[in-house]
Amino acid sequence: MAEKPKAQTGASLQQTTLGKQFAGWAAHHQLVAVETLLKLLRNPIASVLTWLVIAISLTLPGALWMALDNAQQLSSRFQESGRITLYLHVNTSVDAGRNLSQELKRLNNVASVEFIDADTALADFREHSGLDSALDFLEGNPLPSLILIEPRLGLTPAATESLLASLKAYPEVDSAQADMAWVERLRAILAFSERLFTVLGFLLALAIVLVVGNTIRLAIAARVDEIRVVKLVGGTNAWVRRPFLYTGLWYGMIGGLLAWLLLILCWLLLRGPVVEMAQLYGSSFSLKPLSAVAALVLLGAAMLLGWLGAWWSVSRHLGEIEP
Amino acid sequence: MSMVIFEQVSKRYDSGKDALSGVSFELKKGEFAFLTGHSGAGKSTLMKLIMLMERPSRGQVHVDGQNLNRLPSYMVPYHRRKVGVVFQNHQLLFDRSVFDNVALPLLIAGYTPDEIGRRVRASLDAVGLLGMERRNPVELSGGEQQRVGIARAIVNKPPLLLADEPTGNLDPELSAEIMSLFARLGQVGVTVLIATHDIDLVKRMGHRRIILDHGQMQGGRRQGAVHG
Repeated sequence: MAEKPKAQTGASLQQTTLGKQFAGWAAHHQLVAVETLLKLLRNPIASVLTWLVIAISLTLPGALWMALDNAQQLSSRFQESGRITLYLHVNTSVDAGRNLSQELKRLNNVASVEFIDADTALADFREHSGLDSALDFLEGNPLPSLILIEPRLGLTPAATESLLASLKAYPEVDSAQADMAWVERLRAILAFSERLFTVLGFLLALAIVLVVGNTIRLAIAARVDEIRVVKLVGGTNAWVRRPFLYTGLWYGMIGGLLAWLLLILCWLLLRGPVVEMAQLYGSSFSLKPLSAVAALVLLGAAMLLGWLGAWWSVSRHLGEIEP
Repeated sequence: MSMVIFEQVSKRYDSGKDALSGVSFELKKGEFAFLTGHSGAGKSTLMKLIMLMERPSRGQVHVDGQNLNRLPSYMVPYHRRKVGVVFQNHQLLFDRSVFDNVALPLLIAGYTPDEIGRRVRASLDAVGLLGMERRNPVELSGGEQQRVGIARAIVNKPPLLLADEPTGNLDPELSAEIMSLFARLGQVGVTVLIATHDIDLVKRMGHRRIILDHGQMQGGRRQGAVHG
């Protein structure tokens, strides 16, 4: 914005220097920031509903974020479950099996290969199944040799599928099995949840903008006289907007802090049951709270949305108020 | 040097009413003039054109060397800072003290708190209200409220001071007091234009009169001082 135009006569308004103007401008920002915040805090009854709507609107996507964060941590632990088991023909010799493993190791999408010959497999089975004596009745070894393949990390389902097909094509391979259906399902659920987070987040962000916008509209209506006088004595639109924009910012901030408290409360309530449930599944999994970064992002988003709501309202209604 | 020049200015409102037609006059720097005429003659419209609360339908308005027709809307606030204005209903804000009311134009113009304090007190002193800065304007009498309005209009030391029926709600004694206050301001070089229908007072003060009648200037381009 330009400096205010110079007046020519001696009796005219005295000019402040640009530096002083800036100091005045900065001082006004500070004044308005503090005043609007104190106004909100001094009279919380009037705005508590707006704060709560913002807080709840933020808690929902925040909780989803927390859940996703935890689920991703969970799913990364099950990477190994994506492995492929190759059952070789029963008549394949141990040497042929070893050779094949060496060959497969060089394949592109294969991270590691482990060969388990039929005898070792039987010994393992004997040990873990508890059918020790029953196995003695069997003639020979009914188990095939196995090759356990760990696909490269981050392989797409399609690539895994084609890897599986190419493995099946080896003459020594009787059948190949990818033990990953449920991991796939988990990933699909995660992908769906992420999309849900995006859609829900967008809708609730819109709700925050609208709620703050409406609150600010009422605030503008309550200060029509003041706005007229300010415009009459030379207040720029930016000057008139300023307190409302700060008010929107504070609404967002207070709502964000409340949302943060609600999320901590959610975490405290869910933490115990989740650990109990995980223990039943033999897992040491525990529910992590929202990370500090996520909490800050949440707060920043809340403030931005509050400011946006105020801006939207102010740009719609301030033009209508002219002296 | 001229402070205000009207050149064949007409204003027709959207309703179709012609508030001003072909008004021309000149107000020199430091001049003190009354704007008179019956109610509805166009006095307020003329003031609004100077304040850029309205734009003319035809003609040109110059204030302090600036052609207002060529002033972009974002510059309007800066123009208004050069024009102090006093209203009949004083337009004070009752949610704040006398001090804060008077300080408003300075706050807007970006003065530092120190300067604001100094200037507000100087301005209140000029209207004889020093010591009332902490009061709420609602506690003051009509005359005192009007003087707060004047203090606010002059606090930024504008080169031009407009007053629209500043004594409209006051008794004759208070009116004379307010008018003499304006006269004092005129003596320190401020250009003053006061719209009023208080003909007796105008005659007694004996300054130049600009007379409007149904939106037209009465008595030609230059009005001489009218003596009672």
